[in-house]
Amino acid sequence: MKTIFHLDLDAFFVSVERVLDPSLNGKPVIVGGDPHGRGVVTACSYEARKYGLHSAMPIRKAYKLCPHGIYVHGSHGEYSRFSKAVKSILEQYAPMMEQASIDEFYMDFSGCAKIYGSLFIFASKIQKEIMNKVSLPCSIGIASNKTVAKIASDCMKPEGITYVIPGMEKYFLAPMPVETIPGVGKVMHKALNEKGIYLIGDITKLPEDYFGAAFGKYGIDLWHKACGEGKDYIAPPQLRKSVSKERTYGQDVTSREKIEETLFKLTGQVCQILRDKNWQTSTISIKLRYSDFTTITRAKTIKATDDDKTIFDTAVQLFRNNYKRRVSVRLIGIHLTKFSEFSEQEFLFDEEEIRRRKMLRAVTKLRDKFGYSVVQFGRTGKVNNTFVNPFHPET
Amino acid sequence: MKTPKLYIGTAGWTYHDWSPSFYPQNQTSSFNWLTFYSQYFNVVEVNATFYKPFSEKAVYNWIKKVEACVDFMFVLKLHYSFTHSKRFSNCDVKAFSSMLDLLKREERLGGVLLQFPYSFECTDVNIKYLGALVNIFEGYDRFVEVRHSSWENKKARKITFCTIDQPDIGRSIQFNPLASNNMAYFRFHGRNEEAWRDSLKNFGKEMSYDEQNIRYNYLYSPGELLEFERKIREIYHQVKKIYVIMNNHPKGDAVANAFEMLSLLKDRGKIEIPQTTIQTYSRLVRIAV
Repeated sequence: MKTIFHLDLDAFFVSVERVLDPSLNGKPVIVGGDPHGRGVVTACSYEARKYGLHSAMPIRKAYKLCPHGIYVHGSHGEYSRFSKAVKSILEQYAPMMEQASIDEFYMDFSGCAKIYGSLFIFASKIQKEIMNKVSLPCSIGIASNKTVAKIASDCMKPEGITYVIPGMEKYFLAPMPVETIPGVGKVMHKALNEKGIYLIGDITKLPEDYFGAAFGKYGIDLWHKACGEGKDYIAPPQLRKSVSKERTYGQDVTSREKIEETLFKLTGQVCQILRDKNWQTSTISIKLRYSDFTTITRAKTIKATDDDKTIFDTAVQLFRNNYKRRVSVRLIGIHLTKFSEFSEQEFLFDEEEIRRRKMLRAVTKLRDKFGYSVVQFGRTGKVNNTFVNPFHPET
Repeated sequence: MKTPKLYIGTAGWTYHDWSPSFYPQNQTSSFNWLTFYSQYFNVVEVNATFYKPFSEKAVYNWIKKVEACVDFMFVLKLHYSFTHSKRFSNCDVKAFSSMLDLLKREERLGGVLLQFPYSFECTDVNIKYLGALVNIFEGYDRFVEVRHSSWENKKARKITFCTIDQPDIGRSIQFNPLASNNMAYFRFHGRNEEAWRDSLKNFGKEMSYDEQNIRYNYLYSPGELLEFERKIREIYHQVKKIYVIMNNHPKGDAVANAFEMLSLLKDRGKIEIPQTTIQTYSRLVRIAV
C-alpha cells in the first residue's frame, strides 16, 4: 500500500498577489482579464467565492455578482517563481515527486513513516514550512492513491490536512457529491443525476457492468474511482520530447494561403513554448490531413534554432512540397523534436538575425506576461486574398 | 549547515530620495544618515570613493558615526582612474590606500571593490591589467566586478569575483554564484532593461543625476528574491562570509530589497524595519518585528 501526498496551494494566484500587496488580505480578489472585457476568471479568493464566483467563469458575470471585488491582471512570471520555490522545499523531503500543475504536487512517501514519524504531523510541518518560507497557504491530502489524495486535499480547504486511512477510501468518498471525482464535468454530472445518482456512494451501490454499459470505458474508470481506487504511480520529471500544435478547420479548406496562414500562427505558438524552455529544435515536421482523412507527416532536420522565421520557412517548404492532391484539407499541424539547450555564446548570426532574435525574445517576455495574443505578427490576423509573407514581403 | 557571516546592505547611503521611504521626512540637526543606516544594516559600499578620494578625517568621521554597531563594515569602491580611465598615479594609489589602511586599522574594512565597465572584456591585456591592480592592493580583500560574459567561469586565487544581477542585455554576465577565498560578493543592479538600453545610447553625453540613475530604478519582486536566495544558499558551504549589496537605489528600492534579502537569508526571521519603509513598501509588514 502506497502513501501518496497531494499538496495543493490554496487559491495560489490570489495568495501570491497578497504577498505582493498585503492590502488584498481578507478582500474578495479576482485574478483575470478586464472585468468589462471578454476574459474569464483565472482564480479568485475564498472571499470572492462567497458571492458565487469561481475559476473559468466569464469575468463580466463575475463583475455583476461581485462589483466591489478587486480585479487584478495577474503576475504570471511571479507565479512561476513561487511555484519553483515551493517545489524546491518539497524536493528536500519527497523521494518521488510529480508536479501536476503550477500549484499541485503529488509526492510518494511510502515507507517514510520511520523517517518522518506521524504522517499527519509531518504534513503539518511541510504546511508550516511553506507558509514560513514563501507565505503561501496549502492543503494536503494523504491517501493510498493519487485520486483519493487529490479529493482529500480539496475537502478541507484552505490550510487543511486530510488523511484517509488505508482501506477506508470507499467510505470516505461515499457521502460526497459525484462531481467531486476529478474528471466529472457538467455533462457527466447531469447524466449521472438523470439516472438518480447524486453521491459517490450511489455509484458503488450499482455494479461495475452497469457503468460499462452506460458510459463505456469512462464509466468503468468512474466506478473504480468511486470505490477509492486510483493510480499510485508518481511520474518522475521528464524532459519534454516534442512540442506540437495543430488546427482542425471547422470547414475543410482548399486555399493554400489560408493553410500557410494557419501554419504561420501555429509556428508562432510552438516557438513561444520553445523560447520559454530555452530550447532549440533540430527537426521540424508537419502533419497534413485531407478531408478524406488521409494523413501525411513530413519532417526535415536543420541546424538547431528557435527562430520563427527559420522554422516557418522550413515548415512551409515541407507543406508546399507535399500538398499535391486536389483535395481539401481538414487539419494542419506542426511538430518540433530533437531539442537542445539554447546557448547564446555559440551563435554568430548576421545583424538581421541578431535583431530578430532580440525582437522575438522581447515578444516572448510580453506574451508570458500578458498572454499569447498580446503581440501578433502581421500574417496571423485576418488576411485578404493578397497574401503577404512578413518574412519575405516581396514573395 | 553553518550559516556564513552575512553582510547585507546597499551601495551608498547618501540619497535624498530615500526620504521618506527610509530616512524620516523631518530630521533634526543632529540626525545622521549613516548612523541611522547602521542601525539596520551591517555593511555599506562607499560609492563616493569612485569619484574622489576622501581625507582621513572624513573617513574617521564615518567610523565614528557607526561606532554603536560593532560589526559594521565599509567596502570602498575603487576610484575610476583605476578601473575606467586606467590612468592613475602613485599619488592616487597612496590616497586610496590611506583610506583603506585607516579602515583596516579600525577593523571596519570589508574590502575594496574593483568595478569594471561592460567594455572590460576578458582579454590577455585586461587580465594582465587586472593582475597588476590586484597586486597594488595586496593586503585587502579585493572584490572584482566584471560585467561582460567573456569572464564567465573565470577564477582567481587572490580575488573574489562578484556575482551580479543586471539587465540581460547583449553579452552580460549571468547570475551564477561565485565563491572564492571563502567569500562571495553579490551585487544587484536591478533589471530595468529599457532605461539601461537608453543609458547605453546616451553613453558619454552629459546627463542629470536623475537621468544617470534611472537605470537602477527597479524593485525586485518577492519571487525574484526567492530565486536569488535559493542560489545564494547553494554556496553557503563554500564560504565563510557573504556580502549582498543592493544597488537599485532610486526612491529607496535598494533598502526595501535589502531588508527582504536580510529576512530571507536569516531563515525568514523577523527583522527591525523603520516605519518609514513599511509605510512605503507595505509588503514588508510580514517580515517586520
